[in-house]
Amino acid sequence: MIPSAEATSAIDRLFRAEHGRVLATVVRLVRDFDLAEDVVQEAFIAAIQQWPKDGWPGNPVAWLVSCARFKAIDSIRRRTRMQESEREIAGLIAELEASNHDLSEREIQDDQLRLILACCHPALDPQVQVALTLREVCGLTTEEIAAAFLVAPATMAQRIVRGKAKIRDAKIPFRIPGVEELPRRIEAVLAVCYLVFNEGYSASAGPLHTRQDLSGEAIRLGRLLCELCPDGEAFGLLALMLLHDSRREARTTSTGDVVLLQEQDRSRWNRDAIREAHRWLARAMAAEPIGAYTIQAAISALHADAPSAERTDWRQIVAWYDALIQAAPSPVIALNRAVAVAMCDGPEAGLAVVETLQAELADYHLLHAARGDLLRRAGRIAEAAAAYRQALVHAYQDPERRLLGRRLTELSEIQASTAM
Amino acid sequence: MRYMLLVYSPESAWTTEEWTACVVASSKICQELQAQGRFIAASPLQPVATATTVRIRQGQTLVTSGPFAETTEQFGGFFLIDVPDLDAAIAIAARLPAAGKGTVEVRPVFVLPDLPAEQLSARSDHGAQAAPFMLLCYDDEQAWNALGPEALRAAQAEAAALVRTLDARGQYLSASPLHPIATATSVRIRQGKLLVSDGPFAETREFLGGYFLIHARDLNDVITVASKHPGARVGSVEIRRLADVGMLVSGQQLV
Repeated sequence: MIPSAEATSAIDRLFRAEHGRVLATVVRLVRDFDLAEDVVQEAFIAAIQQWPKDGWPGNPVAWLVSCARFKAIDSIRRRTRMQESEREIAGLIAELEASNHDLSEREIQDDQLRLILACCHPALDPQVQVALTLREVCGLTTEEIAAAFLVAPATMAQRIVRGKAKIRDAKIPFRIPGVEELPRRIEAVLAVCYLVFNEGYSASAGPLHTRQDLSGEAIRLGRLLCELCPDGEAFGLLALMLLHDSRREARTTSTGDVVLLQEQDRSRWNRDAIREAHRWLARAMAAEPIGAYTIQAAISALHADAPSAERTDWRQIVAWYDALIQAAPSPVIALNRAVAVAMCDGPEAGLAVVETLQAELADYHLLHAARGDLLRRAGRIAEAAAAYRQALVHAYQDPERRLLGRRLTELSEIQASTAM
Repeated sequence: MRYMLLVYSPESAWTTEEWTACVVASSKICQELQAQGRFIAASPLQPVATATTVRIRQGQTLVTSGPFAETTEQFGGFFLIDVPDLDAAIAIAARLPAAGKGTVEVRPVFVLPDLPAEQLSARSDHGAQAAPFMLLCYDDEQAWNALGPEALRAAQAEAAALVRTLDARGQYLSASPLHPIATATSVRIRQGKLLVSDGPFAETREFLGGYFLIHARDLNDVITVASKHPGARVGSVEIRRLADVGMLVSGQQLV
């Protein structure tokens, strides 16, 4: 027999490793998050009490699911709910009793995917999708999610309650849709994942570490998605997130100032993350057609592989931007392409492209900042200063405003020295 | 699971031909659902200009002409269906012609166990003396929350008693509360793309909380019924006559 303390800590490890998988299956069976959470908790408590005495079951996950299932049947029998008819309750109990078979690994994985799809259902508010996914799929506590999104725990709790109630009352299914609909739904899941990542990555306020943890959480979720549904864009998104994350240390100074890609100390980039990203990117490239996340990852990988900004394969980056504009047309992407064009063919060529975007992106600070950079490189100093000042009008985040301020100071120094 | 699909669109966006084509196309979808045993009832409504709204304030019955609230998209018809889950309801909503011009709001229906059996097929053809009307009960959810769960239960009992009275008089067709507005989903088709979003078609203070389908001799008759609905004291009850295409009901010959 395993000694009790050791058994408890083994079950504790099991809890951390398998809680999400057990919960996913039980949620699908009982179709009620609160009930599922309660009975899964009770099943783990039962395991702590019984396994040290009776020995570990052959398939711990199946044991836990089965135990939670029986506890759910008891609980459903006891409760009385106005909106449930006798017939519905009897039907649910009959289904639960009939679901008594050993779960295959594939079924457990499908349950995880079902849970993710339900949490990221388009009929839920996007904020609710993010909160539910972090709570139910990633296993974060409500307090942790609230801290990461800089809202009061009560607000976040309410968001989660609202999501669970809608899934239950509007009967959002725990089902993997058919091949026709699945890509669109996976797209929504990837969007939630990338949103969580960016929330952590662009953390500009609040308890930095809690927020940066979100990027790690998104990467973990991305890995899970790659395992659950081998989809080209899931691989592409994971590669993209790993590449962004590899520059985390180099992209800000110790005082929180922004360091642009061209000026980053490339020796501080995380090479392990870049290598892993390349492996996922290779798998993503095998998909047909290549999607927007994969193309962005391909661009990011070219930067990651270049020894310096000057020795970057800008020609290939422009080609990837052309593909990206085809896949997901957007003036912001066109602006990024213009910057790459300038790196290939000189600042005047880039400026010509930027001019065509002026009307559409008139309020976008990065358009004016990019114009300023290109004008500066073209030696048109007075015009560059005007562009930076225009950018300042539309920039609201402090680190960005400081960067623009530094640029203006540099320009006035250049002007002073040429005047002499 | 029962869902009500509420069709909202700007009335001015339809020509007569388009409207007729919409009714024909919608009827086809109803027939299909009927064959699958998923159809309960559906009907377009008379234009919103014919709406009458009833409120009770300080014991006084206030009758006003027009809908409960002015919106750019008007409630123009409903579909009552019985499908396995929200995805199935969204798939049907997306096929309705109105989804391309306006919004189809998908609301789960709260089935009360102890109401009299629906009389949709038996009483849908009531002759020239009576016409089918829809009562739209707009609730102020905040006001009900403030009154407390006891008041809400009492109101539900009162509404159930009204259903039994109407049933005894042969006027009852169907009635149900809807799940709270937080369970609403909006479905639209724009540029051929399906857009699904959380929430109702428009944010208003009062939300559709339930409906009555009844037969009545005339508007006065309906106003009397509406003024007995507990929702009229806290929110508003909007009266709309069903359009003259014959209500599409389960078990009936569909148009």
